[in-house]
Amino acid sequence: MIHLYGVVDELERLPTVAGVDAGRLELRRIEGLELIVSRTVEGRDVTQEAVLYHAHVVEELLARSGAVLPARFGTAFSDEQELADAVRATAPALARGLNLVRGCFEFGLRVLGGDGAAESMSGGLSGRDYMRTRLAEDKTRRRLAEELHEPLARLSRASTRFGGASSDLLQSAYLVPRQDVAAFGEHVRRLEAAHPDLTIVCTGPWPPYTFAANGEGGNA
Amino acid sequence: MSMNEQQTLKQQVTLIELVDRVLNKGVVVSGDITLSVANVDLVYVGLRVLLSSVATLEEPRERISATGAAP
Repeated sequence: MIHLYGVVDELERLPTVAGVDAGRLELRRIEGLELIVSRTVEGRDVTQEAVLYHAHVVEELLARSGAVLPARFGTAFSDEQELADAVRATAPALARGLNLVRGCFEFGLRVLGGDGAAESMSGGLSGRDYMRTRLAEDKTRRRLAEELHEPLARLSRASTRFGGASSDLLQSAYLVPRQDVAAFGEHVRRLEAAHPDLTIVCTGPWPPYTFAANGEGGNA
Repeated sequence: MSMNEQQTLKQQVTLIELVDRVLNKGVVVSGDITLSVANVDLVYVGLRVLLSSVATLEEPRERISATGAAP
């Protein structure tokens, strides 16, 4: 199989790190796009190790190119023809994606905590009062999440909030232009200082995984 | 939370964020993902273990704030 790591622009030179299954990295040029691939065995297991190898290659690409669109792990093709056909079919979206992420890093934010009174007081509350407290609390949490997210989103070229069943107060990602990274980090530190009761975990700089599919109108 | 616990929590969250990005984000060029669901489940079992240990790290702090006791 041909395993795809990502689409790059202005790659200085191929990273010398090994790919998944110890494969050697290779460059393909299709439709004016540069793709980084390596050969992998067919029907391989998805292991944490393979995921980390993929991530390592993508990080090396980020360090050596003008822009990188990371491919989702598992994007694999049976032969060169299948790869070329797939790239031709999506080339305009890939080019748009590269333009969006050019010169940017991605940052992730997870905020834990902010659970208020309802749970701890639940023993002494009637059903109705419990629900009322709980609703008020949800509202407060939503407002707090928005207060944390909004200024960071303003410093970003693109941003997204993840919902889901997570108990996190906020889980989000930001696409931050290189020149605004320092200001972004400074703002996160201000948030940490202003909310000592919350656990704020900012991760990054990441390659722009979360925003890689935006050229085609969303994460497929 | 102690500095050490903070550090461990941040490392675990970073790994979770990494695996989530590599498996769930990123561009799909072919529209085809060749992973078998069973294998992905295995990776997520590993993730759940990590997530539950993050929850364990959180627990002592929540217990303290719920009872109002000093840390």
